[in-house]
Amino acid sequence: MEIIEEKRGELSTFKLQGRLDSNTSQVFEKRIFDAMADGTKNVVIDFKNLDYISSAGLRVILKATKALKRENGKILLCAMQDYVKEVFEIAGFDSFLPIVPTLDDALKSM
Amino acid sequence: MTLQTCVSFELKNSLGELSTLCEKLERIGEVLGIPRRLLFEINLALDELFTNIISYGFADTFEHIIRVRISAENDLLTVVLEDDGIPFNPVERLSPELPCTLEECKVGGLGIHLVKNLMDEVVYSRCGNKNVLTLKKTIEKN
Repeated sequence: MEIIEEKRGELSTFKLQGRLDSNTSQVFEKRIFDAMADGTKNVVIDFKNLDYISSAGLRVILKATKALKRENGKILLCAMQDYVKEVFEIAGFDSFLPIVPTLDDALKSM
Repeated sequence: MTLQTCVSFELKNSLGELSTLCEKLERIGEVLGIPRRLLFEINLALDELFTNIISYGFADTFEHIIRVRISAENDLLTVVLEDDGIPFNPVERLSPELPCTLEECKVGGLGIHLVKNLMDEVVYSRCGNKNVLTLKKTIEKN
């Protein structure tokens, strides 16, 4: 998996490419928590080029969401392929995690 | 007469084999003509079950082989996963209550919950010293 990270003040945008599974989720977890240690309060995750996610990936996003909320921060997910979105829906994560159609939408509401 | 095509492969009990699983499924998807979305769902179901098996299934540290067999007959796809780990029936595990809020959300049992929802049928049996899981899913073209 490839992770592109862009930081503007307290906002970090992570663009994911490839597969987020038990093999790669720990790397992503470290990147998010490193960014938070470095002052990030708000996070956008761009799923446009993410082909695959498993429960290990969902777990990292849940953990990050809880940690950001404790810091009064905000998280937004965007540009998911429909079968990736289905995984969030089956897990029930879409009821508390905002998922918007495009990266522009996400950045505008930050 | 119906045509039945069957493909099988083996995985070792290591997380690195998740990429082997993905590569094998890509090829099998082409051979059996499985639509992309279904291939994704099968990959996810097998990933969750495989990750469970290698995380909790073996009491020793030796190498084990996990066998996967995929067959297609008409519009029905059958996937059989077989391991020689300790007896474990994931079907018995209750699905977690779906969370409505962030605070309620717990991660335990999430993988099995995904498997049960993605597949039409999940059946467990213990055969000798083996766990055998049979997954069934209807192939919907388009």
